[in-house]
Amino acid sequence: MEATTMFRSKWFLPGFSVALGLAFLVALWAGGKPADGVFSLAVLIGFGLLILLGGRSETIRGLRGDGRDERFARLDLVATAIAGNVLIAIVIGACIWEWAHGRDGSPFVQLGAITGVTYVLAVGFLRWRG
Amino acid sequence: MAVSRQTINAIETERYTPSLPLALALARYFNSTVEEVFDGGNDDVQE
Repeated sequence: MEATTMFRSKWFLPGFSVALGLAFLVALWAGGKPADGVFSLAVLIGFGLLILLGGRSETIRGLRGDGRDERFARLDLVATAIAGNVLIAIVIGACIWEWAHGRDGSPFVQLGAITGVTYVLAVGFLRWRG
Repeated sequence: MAVSRQTINAIETERYTPSLPLALALARYFNSTVEEVFDGGNDDVQE
C-alpha cells in the first residue's frame, strides 16, 4: 500500500480558466454582448495568471494542482461540499421565493431536481462501488 | 514523502489525521511502527 501522489500540472487550472473565459466570450458574443464577453475573458485570464504566478503559497499551489496532497484533497472535498450545500440552500430558497410570487419556479425547480437526483445516484453508485 | 511540509506540520500538531497509506509510509520513513509513531499516549511524532 503506497501513499498516493495527487499532483497535477500547474497549468491545469490556469488553462481551464482561460478555456472557460473563451467559452464565455463566444457565448456572450453570440448573444450580442461582445464587451461583456471580453470583460469575462479578461477577468478569467487575470485569475489564471494569479494562480499560475501565485508563488509558493500552499493555498495557491493546492488550487493550481502542483501542491496537492491527500490533506489538500480532503480540504477540496469539504470545501466542495460546503459550496454545494450553500448552493442547494439558495436553490431551495429561490424556489420558495418564485412560487410565493406566483411564478412556476423555473429554473430553480429543475436545478434542484437535477441536484437531488444526482445526489441519490452518486450515493447509490459509491455504495455499489464499495 | 508525497505530502507538503504543511501537511506534516498539521499531522504533528494533530490538526490532520493521515490516511493509512501515509501513516505506514511515515512509519517506514522513521524505520518504526505506526503504533510507535502515532502513539496515543505520546502525541509527538518521533524522529
